[in-house]
Amino acid sequence: MTRLQKSRALQWLCTLAAAAALVIVLFPVYAIIVGSFESTETLFSGRFYWVPHEATLDNYRTVLQGGSATTQETVSGSQTGNVLTSLLVGLGTALLALVVAVPAAYALSKYRLRVTLVIVSSLLVAQIVPSIVLATSLFIIFHWIHLLNSYPGLILADGTYAIPFAILVLRAFFFSLPNELMDSARVDGASEWRTFRLVVIPIARSAIITVAVFAFLAGWGDFIFALTVLNGTGIQPITLGIYNYLGNYSTDWGAVMSSAVIALVPAAVMLMVAQRYIASGLTAGSVKG
Amino acid sequence: MGRRGNQAQADAAAPAPATAGAGAAFRSLTTGSLPRLSARRKQQFAGWLFLAPAIAYLLFAFALPVIYNVMLSFERTSPATIANFTAPFAGLDNYHAVFHDPTSRSAIVRTLEFTVLSLVFQFIIGFSLALLFSLRFPGRTFARSLIIVPWLLPLIVTGVIFRFLFQAEGGAVNQVLTNVGLVDHPIQWLNDPHLALWTILIGNIWLGIPFFTLLLYSALQDVPVEVKEAAVIDGASPWQRLRLIIVPIILPVIEVALLLGFVFTVKVFDLVIGLTGGGPANSTQLITTWSYNLSFQQFSFGQGAALNNVLLVLALICAPLYLWLSRGSLRTSRGEGR
Repeated sequence: MTRLQKSRALQWLCTLAAAAALVIVLFPVYAIIVGSFESTETLFSGRFYWVPHEATLDNYRTVLQGGSATTQETVSGSQTGNVLTSLLVGLGTALLALVVAVPAAYALSKYRLRVTLVIVSSLLVAQIVPSIVLATSLFIIFHWIHLLNSYPGLILADGTYAIPFAILVLRAFFFSLPNELMDSARVDGASEWRTFRLVVIPIARSAIITVAVFAFLAGWGDFIFALTVLNGTGIQPITLGIYNYLGNYSTDWGAVMSSAVIALVPAAVMLMVAQRYIASGLTAGSVKG
Repeated sequence: MGRRGNQAQADAAAPAPATAGAGAAFRSLTTGSLPRLSARRKQQFAGWLFLAPAIAYLLFAFALPVIYNVMLSFERTSPATIANFTAPFAGLDNYHAVFHDPTSRSAIVRTLEFTVLSLVFQFIIGFSLALLFSLRFPGRTFARSLIIVPWLLPLIVTGVIFRFLFQAEGGAVNQVLTNVGLVDHPIQWLNDPHLALWTILIGNIWLGIPFFTLLLYSALQDVPVEVKEAAVIDGASPWQRLRLIIVPIILPVIEVALLLGFVFTVKVFDLVIGLTGGGPANSTQLITTWSYNLSFQQFSFGQGAALNNVLLVLALICAPLYLWLSRGSLRTSRGEGR
């Protein structure tokens, strides 16, 4: 073998290794997609099929129209409503994160403020605080200020996933902007607010999209706050809908899996549409959960 | 993280924002209402206004709940006291109850074991994949983009997926094991108290792989090519290059990855609820799930809060280390502050 052939062979070996890794990493997702198209009989037949055995849309039809065969009494409403709820919560979380984080990150990178060190340290520590600690307290605090079972309450709670991360990522981005940019706007007579709105925000668009995507996914995928601060019926995001389909003794697999597949649609869409934003967000030292 | 740190340090060397110099001409938010303020003062004021929502949010959504959780852990709570915001002082009763409850104690020990085992495997797999992706081969960009998938799923969905895979009857795992002849009857993964934790461990390792892979991959990209080439010219073997050159250079990122991995894993909740619900017979209760059970199913918020504080201490042990490892971004802000 020549050296060239040898390095070609090595390259293909790497491709093979990467393909094997991908198969293992993606198989679990593939398995529920297959499962979601199986009939109830197949799902309870005690056999796993590698490709859909008798493909059917029944599971999707059932969950989107509401109710499920085995756990009907515990499930309120259809997953169609739940999807809308989750969309609203995801968008709300993204909006809250941007409103709070964009100006804060700008202030923390471009203004000389005495509190900068304290706030940045607090943000780093805030990322560490476990959600169950916040959820336990927020349940009682929300009860007290009447935010239980409400969209604003849930979105405020879901912001805890997104906001510290968003500020830190945007701050790193703002550091890369030359100060002359803002100064020239100021010399032209723009106020601080106008400079921020008309100069800084347009330039930061890609970083802003990155944090918005992450905040949306955090709100969409949240389960712990939905379980705690939505104490009861009424608002029910899709994650809670899935949980309700998991019975204590028997699981309605058709409903669970079709709902789970619906719940991973936004992630799939983001992966396709916002790929480069996601990759940059992840390597910015993100914290999830 | 490494990139962010490096970038922040580079920025520290850049000229500080011009403040008073450019001041005379611009109209700030405060023009008119506070005419006598200097340009620098106006800028300070604008900065504070930009920061105000974030400060309010941090106080409301982090400081208040954490402080309230500490208060709660010293109170004698009951379902009736929830409406009152405070309850009678209970001293250390809740902590006493938590540390004498066998389920709480085993949940604490289990959380630590689970976390350490998760990190070991996540790191080994993630680092191997990062090294693989830093080689050149056909399809590497495609493979790298798909490796993110486990990260993006809602955690409850991940739990449900693994519950499906580990079913005794009709689960893919048992089917593969039976087909290759490793077992002759289905393993009761989710019904056997000795095995159920392994399913959570496997699920958690799976979902942590993208984080470790991408973080370490980006660190490997930052290793200067000249350094790697010099090592090759000096005749270092691949293993020597890895151990003596690459690992020391990316060590700060490895530390941050392990630290954040620790923090994610001690607070895992959704995955357990989706996979085992803490069962069978509480054999997969972690601190988070048992705390939820105490507070929201037994309505013993005081004990739940006490257990939460154990978790908080475990997580916050990492805080000083995290701050130290992130000192690059902190130093910049100190340089700016007055």
